[in-house]
Amino acid sequence: MPQGTFCNTTPIGTEDELKALLGDKGGAQYYEEMKELDVDSDAIAALLEKTCQSRIRTWLEICAHCGMCADSCFLYRVNDRDPKQVPAYKIQSTLGELVKKKGKVTNEFMRHCVDVAWSQCTCCNRCGMYCPHGIDMGVMFSYLRGILNSQGFVPWEMKIGSGMHRVYNAQMDVTTEDWIDTCEWMAEEYEEEWPGLEIPIDKEDADIMYTLNAREPKHYPEDLAEAAILFHLAGENWTVPSTGWEQTSLSMFAGDWAACKMQVESVYNAIEKLRPKRVIGTECGHAHRATVIEGPYWAGREDGLPPAPYIHYVEWVAEALRTGKIKIDPEKKIKEPVTLQDSCNYVRNHGLAKATREIMSYIAEDFREMGPNREHNYCCGGGGGFNGIGKYRKERNKALQTKRDQILATGCKLVIAPCHNCWDAIRDLEEEYEIGIRWSFLKPLLIKMAIVPDHLKLPEE
Amino acid sequence: MAEITYEGKTFEVDEDGFLLKFEEWCPEWVEYVKESEGISEITEDHQKILDFLQDYYKKNGIAPMVRILSKNTGFKLKQVYELFPSGPGKGACKMAGLPKPTGCV
Repeated sequence: MPQGTFCNTTPIGTEDELKALLGDKGGAQYYEEMKELDVDSDAIAALLEKTCQSRIRTWLEICAHCGMCADSCFLYRVNDRDPKQVPAYKIQSTLGELVKKKGKVTNEFMRHCVDVAWSQCTCCNRCGMYCPHGIDMGVMFSYLRGILNSQGFVPWEMKIGSGMHRVYNAQMDVTTEDWIDTCEWMAEEYEEEWPGLEIPIDKEDADIMYTLNAREPKHYPEDLAEAAILFHLAGENWTVPSTGWEQTSLSMFAGDWAACKMQVESVYNAIEKLRPKRVIGTECGHAHRATVIEGPYWAGREDGLPPAPYIHYVEWVAEALRTGKIKIDPEKKIKEPVTLQDSCNYVRNHGLAKATREIMSYIAEDFREMGPNREHNYCCGGGGGFNGIGKYRKERNKALQTKRDQILATGCKLVIAPCHNCWDAIRDLEEEYEIGIRWSFLKPLLIKMAIVPDHLKLPEE
Repeated sequence: MAEITYEGKTFEVDEDGFLLKFEEWCPEWVEYVKESEGISEITEDHQKILDFLQDYYKKNGIAPMVRILSKNTGFKLKQVYELFPSGPGKGACKMAGLPKPTGCV
């Protein structure tokens, strides 16, 4: 039966368990234990019976093996068109086999599925647009991740990530006290430059409730301050919740369905408690997918919608520029050629390509599209958790070549990436391939370009 | 896992170049990392941050959030970035011998 000390079927439940797992650096012991982990075929069969429903079963059956999905997959293309990277092959040889064999598979097979599910598919969903039957391998790989996770077969960092959600209600160790302290700290530090700047906490009936990614308070608090500055400039009546502020879901990448539900419900509870007119999420792709697109279903919401209208940051920026809430100084527009990364999670999966292009029309004089773009854009190379899994760094770095070549073809040295995951992947591709580019979220660029209304200026100005 | 040799010392590093064994940390490691981090000279201020990161890590097994770092060292966020241009979560942790933070970073 061997259940490992670290690699096992029990989700992380306490801070001590989390720290013990973190202490196994790089998952050295964890992955050794995974080799011995038993496969409970009956449990897999029961889970498949309960959760593998008509859509996925139909998709697995009707695949005509036509190969149209092959070229749609950037991982197939970047890996020398290896037939083993054809999306249909990837899913048929993993989930397809698992279903066919009703869970009667070996440990070795399960570990093979882990490699395919987390290093050969970023769940970017591009293949679904090219399949004549509309079969979406990304959806199926997300599902496979859940089956694997239920048996303890999940990359080390993913188990940590979903464990963080379970312990802290955030993908990182940020407690409510730390979060509130960070909000107060950022407002205080930036008020020197922005008189009257506030980060209002738990304000009821505000026009906007803002949610973000735990990496912001944990490692990049300036991102929170920048959001506050832009709301301040736009004169918005906004707030952040003291709990339920974390919009992301590493549990989604990990396939930890119970943690997905738990996490998104913390956000929905905050919405119900504070009753904002609408909610705005930060410049993050997967947070939007987790909380706006998939979250309502995890939480069992009958209307398939969050408790209040919930928009992505780029939608708010486009609106703020359109309505003149934020005005751009024409002299400060970006003069150099600049390109834009379309995040799969809110562009392909939620149709927001127009919003980002509208923003570019206000802020850039020489905006150049990547090719392909909009819904057809390629994944940054690090989506779906790929960036964060050390074991697959070599494969991830290879995957980054697609984005590198797309960027090089534009001739731009500046890339706007309104998604944390894309931003990280583009930073990492610069570190790896040194092509001489810079990358940025929208917020810091907008602050540099915005016209500051007189009443918000520093007194000595 | 890769090995790096610098000034007669050998370091085991992970796939992102972070020290795999905290106990292998030594001043030579700082010298090795500082160049790639764009830091010309390690000042007392750098040292203060490195010391705090190491103390916190020894006690908690994880890197502190920036607020805790700022509170305990007295540096404002801007100063932290001036000292460690690639940011506290990356450059400073790497130099202090902490593992790469997990999650979306």
